[in-house]
Amino acid sequence: MNMFPNYFVIHCLFCSRNLAAPVKTTQSSNTSLETYSTLQKESCHRLDFLVERQKQLCMLSDKMVQVLQTGAQQAVEECQYQFRNSRWNCSTVENSTDIFGGVLKFKSRESAFVHALSAASLAHAVARACSRGELNECSCDARVRKRTPRHWQWGGCSEDIRYGEKFSRDFVDAKEDKESEEGIMNLHNNEAGRRAVRGRMQRVCKCHGMSGSCSVRVCWRRLPPLRAVADALSTRYEGASHVKVVERKKGKNIRKLRPIHPDMKKPNKTDLVYLEESPDYCEPNEELGILGTRSRTCNRTSAGLDGCRLLCCGRGYQTRVRDHEEKCRCRFVWCCRVHCEICRSKRDHHVCN
Amino acid sequence: MTGTIIENLSGRKLAVLVTLLLLCQVICFLIGGLVAPMPANTQTILGTVCKDTSVMKNDTSKWFYNRGKGSCQTVDLGETHHDLSERDIVFAFQMPVPREGERFDYSRWQQNLIGVLQLDVRYHSQMEVKPRSTVTIDARLAYRNKGDPDDEWKLYTQSIEKRNLDCDIDVKSEEYLYNCSTIPLFELGSLYHDYYLLNIRLPVNTPDMNVHIGHLQDIWVTVINQNGGFTKVWLSLKTAFFPCIIAILVWFWNRIHMLERKPVLLEKMLLSLGISLCLLNAPIEYLTLQYDLPFMLLLGDIRQGLFYATLFSFWLIFAGEHMLIQDTSSQSSLKQYWRHLSAVAMGCVSLFIFDMCERGIQLRNPFYSIWVTDLGTNLALTFIILAGISTGVYFLFLCYMVWKVFKNISHKRQALPTMCSVRRLHYEGIIYRFKFLMLATLLCAALTVIGFILGQVAEGQWKWDETIELEYTSAFFTGVYGMWNIYIFSLLVLYAPSHKRWPVNENTSDTQNLSEEIEFSPIPERSEISSLTSFIRKATID
Repeated sequence: MNMFPNYFVIHCLFCSRNLAAPVKTTQSSNTSLETYSTLQKESCHRLDFLVERQKQLCMLSDKMVQVLQTGAQQAVEECQYQFRNSRWNCSTVENSTDIFGGVLKFKSRESAFVHALSAASLAHAVARACSRGELNECSCDARVRKRTPRHWQWGGCSEDIRYGEKFSRDFVDAKEDKESEEGIMNLHNNEAGRRAVRGRMQRVCKCHGMSGSCSVRVCWRRLPPLRAVADALSTRYEGASHVKVVERKKGKNIRKLRPIHPDMKKPNKTDLVYLEESPDYCEPNEELGILGTRSRTCNRTSAGLDGCRLLCCGRGYQTRVRDHEEKCRCRFVWCCRVHCEICRSKRDHHVCN
Repeated sequence: MTGTIIENLSGRKLAVLVTLLLLCQVICFLIGGLVAPMPANTQTILGTVCKDTSVMKNDTSKWFYNRGKGSCQTVDLGETHHDLSERDIVFAFQMPVPREGERFDYSRWQQNLIGVLQLDVRYHSQMEVKPRSTVTIDARLAYRNKGDPDDEWKLYTQSIEKRNLDCDIDVKSEEYLYNCSTIPLFELGSLYHDYYLLNIRLPVNTPDMNVHIGHLQDIWVTVINQNGGFTKVWLSLKTAFFPCIIAILVWFWNRIHMLERKPVLLEKMLLSLGISLCLLNAPIEYLTLQYDLPFMLLLGDIRQGLFYATLFSFWLIFAGEHMLIQDTSSQSSLKQYWRHLSAVAMGCVSLFIFDMCERGIQLRNPFYSIWVTDLGTNLALTFIILAGISTGVYFLFLCYMVWKVFKNISHKRQALPTMCSVRRLHYEGIIYRFKFLMLATLLCAALTVIGFILGQVAEGQWKWDETIELEYTSAFFTGVYGMWNIYIFSLLVLYAPSHKRWPVNENTSDTQNLSEEIEFSPIPERSEISSLTSFIRKATID
């Protein structure tokens, strides 16, 4: 069975090889640029967990490995931010081939979210790299010039997010088996993730007609910050649909996702779907890479997931008084520094048993 | 006496002419919709943050770029750098961005380049950004041509500019970005070179410079250029219309000179309308393919303005000439319309001054914007409001005059039943055709306005999976452009003096009217004027 349904493993590979952890986007100096690029292409080959198509895509450009890395890195960061208050806090596992341990073996809600987020994050990273001019391969979408298949100078190019989506579809979806139930679920969630990026884009316009009037106007769209996309996906995660795979037409082998209960709403393309209930995240499970909620900090006053009652799974908690240090009265100094004062206070600290 | 062609044209011929012109109109629309691409193209470029290690920061021979030999050392702004100061940070934008494994270059067909700046300011709960602040930008623009080495950038222009930054935020949460207004950065009237490079620094020369802009995460520059394909289609249309209008103008002037009288005001107005359209049609953009002409944007504005001014004046005089009922003796002249025309003149002059202040100064400094300083904003607003008021006054005048003409006509119509049948038919014909032209004008204006609004609405509903094959925006531009050309063409044709002596018409109903000719024009004609005008003047005397 395919144990690596997403491309997160790249991240982990770089961890284990100590190339960059956390990944730094800082460039090597330009003197070794050529050796660097061959190195990059070779490294695509060394990523054994990539299927052939993914290797091809990885080798498209010198900077592709770096872009893939950024995408993976940001997805993990976002996942950990979004799940910081949940029982499973998107914890990564060292020294394993699979970055989240075995958690994603379950066709669970969490798996749905992680897939969607990784597809979205890759599309986002690729689109940004295209805008920066780092990837030469970004397509000049033919849609704009469908009728007149001429050069860019004739009719321009489409937005970068189009290529980002296309690449993400090509790369992330390449691993999925369209026949298996898991594959169908993952494909659906990947697409939902990409749509979350698209749906959060903001339209900006500029008038440039006679004397700058709006008789001629041109519009484009801004890429949203990944945090906004992840927040949107997080909402989708909470409202994810529990589905089952049904054979649509016997013999023709068309399989579709239908809600598990017929009276539930049919999920649309932007909704996340899952096939199985989540495993128990309360107790540590080495095999699955679940750390459990022991020694997690909880919020005594909250009634939500981060509240001590839910987070500690009813095991109770201990309260300690700790010196709390917090950055405060911050001032940003352009370009590169944030000047903050450190405020100290004593606070109660609740830790799950 | 002679009339204009429209009065003597049979209904069938008129129908054929109108059908032909409508066909041209549809063709213009379809050319824009099916052949031309979108009028403008945008490329959004994310700034590469480069590290400037040089000691002399004012050196304009040192350029920072992220592609090709000698590209810069990049910095990640997400991390804190204690070894860097704001003086060492350069945002580099190399345009155009490569696509499909090719290095693209700008073609001169793409005509102009407009740059818009977008700052991504990150939200921090500890330090909120004021909604309005000023950002100081040190912008330098360089160019390079095909065949030049990768590092041979030459300075195009440089400037230190202040811009207003309006930021607000809906979701106050870490990592979210402020919604900052876009900042117009530069406008190049000519796209003469192949590659451009923009280097942006945010200097901190005084203690309060650039300190209130918040945590800047990224800078995006959106560059807008006209699409080469659109320029080609547009210029082809111009090249087609230009000789047509010239030819019809020559024909029109010849016809007037064949008459024994001097040209009347309406004919002079028609001539100047034709000439201003010729100026608009003249495809001088071909010159930009060979020479560097940065004034093309300004010249385009002036040509359009001139055309609108003549068109608006023509409508006023057209209405006025069909109303002058009191003095039949004197030749009407422009002087009589000075009050009406002053509204047009005022609007045009104020728009011209505004344009000179904005695009005129941009010839010297492409980064200039009048909207930055308070004085400039007030000045610009004054001129724009003046132009707006003038337009309002003008339309009030025009509506009043048209209303008066119609009142006049309907008043005289009551007298029609007392006339003999043939004369009545003739009068009714004239009124019908006058109204027909009024209708054509209204139709053209309405179509322009409706088309414009439809375009705005259609654009508002931004869709991804468009299946419509028609490029609406381009179709609208070519359609409207063709429409006004056809409109003026038909005016020149239909309002040219007719050579047919009115009574000797092959038209069966008219041939019998020889006897009535004397009755028809009892006033001695000192000048040959359009019979419609004479009809109204005569009718008042009746």
